[in-house]
Amino acid sequence: MRRGPALAGLFFLLGCTLAFAQGDAKRGEYLSKAGGCVGCHTDTRKDAEPYAGGRALKTPFGSFYGPNITPHPQAGIGRWTYNDFVRAMREGRRPDGENYFPAFPYPSFTRISDADLRDLWAYLRSLKPSARSSRPHELGILYRWRVSLYPWKWLFFDSGPFRPEPGKSAAVNRGAYLVQALGHCGECHTPRNLLGAPKKDRYLAGAKLGESTNAANLTPTKLKKYGDGELKDILTSGLYPDGDVMGETMGEVVRNTTSQLAPQDLDALIAYLRSLRPLPDEPK
Amino acid sequence: MRKSGVTVVVALSLGAVAGAALAQAKPEQLVRQRQAVMILQGKYFGPLAGMAQGKAPYNADIVRRNAAFLDNLSRMPWDAFDPATKDVKSNALPAVFEQQDKFKEAASRLENELHKLYEVSRSGDENAVKTQIGAVGKACGACHENFRQKQ
Repeated sequence: MRRGPALAGLFFLLGCTLAFAQGDAKRGEYLSKAGGCVGCHTDTRKDAEPYAGGRALKTPFGSFYGPNITPHPQAGIGRWTYNDFVRAMREGRRPDGENYFPAFPYPSFTRISDADLRDLWAYLRSLKPSARSSRPHELGILYRWRVSLYPWKWLFFDSGPFRPEPGKSAAVNRGAYLVQALGHCGECHTPRNLLGAPKKDRYLAGAKLGESTNAANLTPTKLKKYGDGELKDILTSGLYPDGDVMGETMGEVVRNTTSQLAPQDLDALIAYLRSLRPLPDEPK
Repeated sequence: MRKSGVTVVVALSLGAVAGAALAQAKPEQLVRQRQAVMILQGKYFGPLAGMAQGKAPYNADIVRRNAAFLDNLSRMPWDAFDPATKDVKSNALPAVFEQQDKFKEAASRLENELHKLYEVSRSGDENAVKTQIGAVGKACGACHENFRQKQ
């Protein structure tokens, strides 16, 4: 009779170890929201299958289409090993060794921790496989060769997980991790040079996206006009305090990501943005 | 008989005055008018978005009232995006005047979504109302994305 609880405890411990080794899909789902994966990896049609690929990301170099990342063996990434996934996220390389274009934001995702990669992988494995084939990118003639990515990566890409800054509070470091690694906010909110690499000294100072769209300056220069409560409202509702609706690109990020964050993560994100050095807007 | 004749004359002259007033409206005035409409849309849409997202308790009376206000407001700003206002300083991007077809399309999308909201707000179906509030938000955001420069 007394063996029951002991056995249950043993199984519980065993379960925990297994879950740790295999990653926690539930946690992975949350991390996937924090990473906004669904945005690029889902078509814009109303009935589109999530994570089955299709969205066009228009850049000066051409249109990139987010591929199918469901576990379908042919159409998706069903044949990948966990190591293939880690190599893609951390080193920006495909299973066959070729480089990804940095439209896939691996310069940010490389900062994701080992534990989070495991959970993300567990979540991706749990998705319903979709047979929808990935659409090839449509790139300008000069940019089609992946070979050119070797020097690009050599110049601009540092791999490796996020390291907390010792002098900063736990909240600021957590926020930095959410913004720099999972959230990949800098991919849009940092201006890029002619080779499409972010200008490090202008990190999160806002950037022009295409002809008319701008990503806002996220340093205190712009954000100081909002209180913490107001910023939280903006990032959970997609509305400014006067009821003004933000542009749809960020509106979608609010729906998919920032409104889904746990309250303490949203607080951390704001604490980190507040800790940034104020930078002036990009010259128009 | 004479009375109706007078009415016609009065109506005609009022029409002429209104027409003249429209023709004379200064570009700066048009910009202020359309901004006023946008401000009021924000005022009446904000609480609805809060209810749709579960941040504020759902109140069917406020939804019905605001949906009716918004249905009307959504038809008001467009004639103030007159080409004459092109050079007046505002958050409107040049695309408003350069891609008029797309701008009109975005404008009618908002009108349609708000009219739908007006209709479902009368049906009393809370879930349908909340879904439709989301659709309205997307219509606002889609137009802001391409035609408005947030300062």
